[in-house]
Amino acid sequence: MFSFNLYLPEIFILILILLTIGFGVFNKDLSISLNTIGFLFISFFLINTGFSFYERYGLTGNTSKLIVLTKIILSLGSAVFILLSKRPLKNDNIYRYEYILFILFATLGSFILITSTNFLTAFIGLELQSLSLYLMAAFSTKNLSSNEAGIKYFSLGALSSGFLLFGISMIYFEMGNFNFQDISSFGFMGEIGLALILISLFFKVSAAPFHIWTPDVYQGSPTVSVLFFATLPKLASLIFLFRIYHEFNIVDIQSLNYIFQIVCILSLLVGVYGAITQKVIKRLLAFSSINHIGFILLAIMSYQYMSEGAFFFYLIIYIITTFGIFSVILNLRNIDGELTQISQLNGLKSLSRSKSIAMLVFLFSLAGIPPFAGFFGKFFILSASINEGLYVLSAIAVLSSVIAAFYYLTIIKNMFFNNPEIELLTDTNKITQVIIIISALVLTLFFFYPDPLINLVDSLFSQN
Amino acid sequence: MNFNFPILSLLVLTPIIGALTLSLTSSEQLKNKTILLSGLWISVGEFLLSLLLPIFYNKSQNGYQFLEFHTWFDQFDINYFVGVDGVSIPLILLTTFLIPICLLCSWNSIQTRVKEFVIYFLLLESFIIGVFISIDLVIFYVFFEAVLIPMFLIIGIWGGENRIYATFKFFLYTLAGSVLMLLAIIYIILVTKTGNIQQIAGFNFQENIQLILFICFFASFAVKVPMFPFHTWLPDAHVQAPTSGSVILAGVLLKLGAYGFMRLSVPFFEYASIYYQPFIFTLSCIAIVYTSIVALRQDDMKKMIAYSSVAHMGFVTIGIFTLTSDGMNGAYFQMISHGVVSAALFLIVGVVYERHHTRMIADYSGVTNIMPKYSFFFMVFMLASVGLPGTSGFVGEFLVIMSTISVNVYLTIFTAMGVVLGAAYMLLLYKNVNFGEIKSNIKKLHDLTGIELFYFICLAFLTILLGVYPKILFNMINESILQGIL
Repeated sequence: MFSFNLYLPEIFILILILLTIGFGVFNKDLSISLNTIGFLFISFFLINTGFSFYERYGLTGNTSKLIVLTKIILSLGSAVFILLSKRPLKNDNIYRYEYILFILFATLGSFILITSTNFLTAFIGLELQSLSLYLMAAFSTKNLSSNEAGIKYFSLGALSSGFLLFGISMIYFEMGNFNFQDISSFGFMGEIGLALILISLFFKVSAAPFHIWTPDVYQGSPTVSVLFFATLPKLASLIFLFRIYHEFNIVDIQSLNYIFQIVCILSLLVGVYGAITQKVIKRLLAFSSINHIGFILLAIMSYQYMSEGAFFFYLIIYIITTFGIFSVILNLRNIDGELTQISQLNGLKSLSRSKSIAMLVFLFSLAGIPPFAGFFGKFFILSASINEGLYVLSAIAVLSSVIAAFYYLTIIKNMFFNNPEIELLTDTNKITQVIIIISALVLTLFFFYPDPLINLVDSLFSQN
Repeated sequence: MNFNFPILSLLVLTPIIGALTLSLTSSEQLKNKTILLSGLWISVGEFLLSLLLPIFYNKSQNGYQFLEFHTWFDQFDINYFVGVDGVSIPLILLTTFLIPICLLCSWNSIQTRVKEFVIYFLLLESFIIGVFISIDLVIFYVFFEAVLIPMFLIIGIWGGENRIYATFKFFLYTLAGSVLMLLAIIYIILVTKTGNIQQIAGFNFQENIQLILFICFFASFAVKVPMFPFHTWLPDAHVQAPTSGSVILAGVLLKLGAYGFMRLSVPFFEYASIYYQPFIFTLSCIAIVYTSIVALRQDDMKKMIAYSSVAHMGFVTIGIFTLTSDGMNGAYFQMISHGVVSAALFLIVGVVYERHHTRMIADYSGVTNIMPKYSFFFMVFMLASVGLPGTSGFVGEFLVIMSTISVNVYLTIFTAMGVVLGAAYMLLLYKNVNFGEIKSNIKKLHDLTGIELFYFICLAFLTILLGVYPKILFNMINESILQGIL
């Protein structure tokens, strides 16, 4: 049964792409405002259609809600990101209209990926998303490290896509089918195939030990691109991973469950140990994101009690925090250009009070110190995992967050305790400033008024 | 009595609102003194507000009073549920009493970033009060952890030369202990389906599970108290912290751990409390004897008092885990007394440090000739710390030692040894600083200023009052300890 309506969000993006190709060449600013409005329209459309939109696909109610909510967040995030990206791109002298096209293609890929009910569609979505990301990593063509990052990302990403295809073909070999619904129990080949698919997804979300590309790509790519791949495409891949885990009941497949647990533990530990000695801000954030992926995998594994809510809540908070931190970094420059070293943040407190306090909120929130929202993200995940009986994993997770606190504190130390060494120029970019303020407020005020976010997450995933 | 005024929320919110208002003013317009003065007024107002608690507290009524209840996370049955009983009120008063003194003692010593300083102290105050008033485990944990943030910044910004090391050590040690407690809290909430401390206290956990949960809570509180093997962050933090930081750290923050033992560990885990009794007694005895001996050998005054804090808190943990009414009362009295006396001793060190910029005992000699008022107050607090009858230090130690006899006589011997050793190092300190030849560079020091005189008189008055008429405190706490904890 083919229903045209179901593809409307994707079709909207396609229209945006066509319009951008048509007009973007002549007027970049116009295409920015056009796409922002377009994405806002898409999110409005999705809010309007309601959460049961995809039940007509044959998806269960909860999955449908998950997909609709993710799409709303993706389109809102893309709208914000397109607005935000203009100034940093101009600063790097790479303000070209293709960049917006890549964002559009990547978002289209994410949409297809999370909606897919079939391995081939999922593959197309994932590849569309990843190829755009490789280009965004290499977008600063005059900059050698950006090229290097792009090539690294591409070659390793292509390898992982190979794994994905191989895994899909093995499942096809056993089942003779690509549809999620028709694949029920796995034999030996099917299990290996699924393992390969999981590995490919672990690569995309940069879970250890498939994380090697992350620090290099983060460091080399233009910072604004890093903000993009740290948030929205990663959200889409994680949602897809979540769906795979639950639709194939991986919890019942012993061997795959072990793989999941090992990857979770390794991500938690590699993330923190890698980050401790980092001197470069983006590398540190790369490792810290690996640690957070560990927490998210823990949420995926503990699936019974509020876990969908916990999982989603953590992701929302993580995305808000990441947007905030990168906005601070994008907002600060010195004479040579962007800030790269942590030591360049020295004495930020005396330079810009609001930015340093916002940064303090973001970092304590990432470290999971109450009363900021990041603490509640961890709290809900740990509640879910303890309820599931994953005591050892929970203990490892909280201990890793203690070590993680060390390097977040180091940044705070640089900002608050040290004296400024170099002259910092603040960029008067209104959009990043607004994002900084809004995200810091959201993280702080959650403690005083948690109802909106909690009710949103809860109404989505309650059992009825 | 019907008392619908939301006094507890107001106690938490007043400093936060004050801090917010201060942070919104631009720092160029206000002079440092104006900022300190406004912070002082806020904290004095807070103190007066907190005085309403003992006035309107109904001693004949059991359980928590001034209750406030707001749903917070419906799904988890986690609520903003606050209330106080006799065990919390004296500690709240101690907090609101010490914060103005902290700001007063920074009148001249803090010159840089004064506005931030005041803001952090106000935030610290409201977080600490939050710990003492919460009846919900999650709220308790949130405030318990949040205390770390302002303290981290206070030590890190205004501390001594080695402040970064000290403040990191403080933060990470405490956090590492607390996360285990977080896991235990989550487990308890999942099992009992409530976060309410009173209801959880009525729940019987399985014995072997109690043993594990107790250790998780113990990890957090033992670091905070601090008990013997976990105490190494304390001397560093104290030595590097500014005087005001040391005052609040010794005065109130250490009590958070002991309060946690009283409020959570003992009522929740009755079996485990008895099971681990010997373990905790051993650690506390080591703490008392060992840290007293270490304190004897210190050449830095602040470090000596920091070690003496560990020894004194050893009495508190022994008192709590005798699980007798006398022991509990004594431990609680010792907490309050130590809060006043050690805070005063850190102020005493701060006074000479501000004038002479050294904390080494060897750099001082014959101070009593130059600063007679100073050495008088030094003597009062030194004697209180030693436990002279008539001062507040005596009552708590006496009760604790008395209660140990019913448990184990050897325990009594070790505990009593602590008193002797305590006298040894405190008298040594007093003698070396105050008596002897007048060193030439001491001569230029001036005696106590008006502000200093004022807060020393307040503290000395409290010390003597508690020592002469301890009933004023016991009246408040006794019933609550009998009903709520044992």
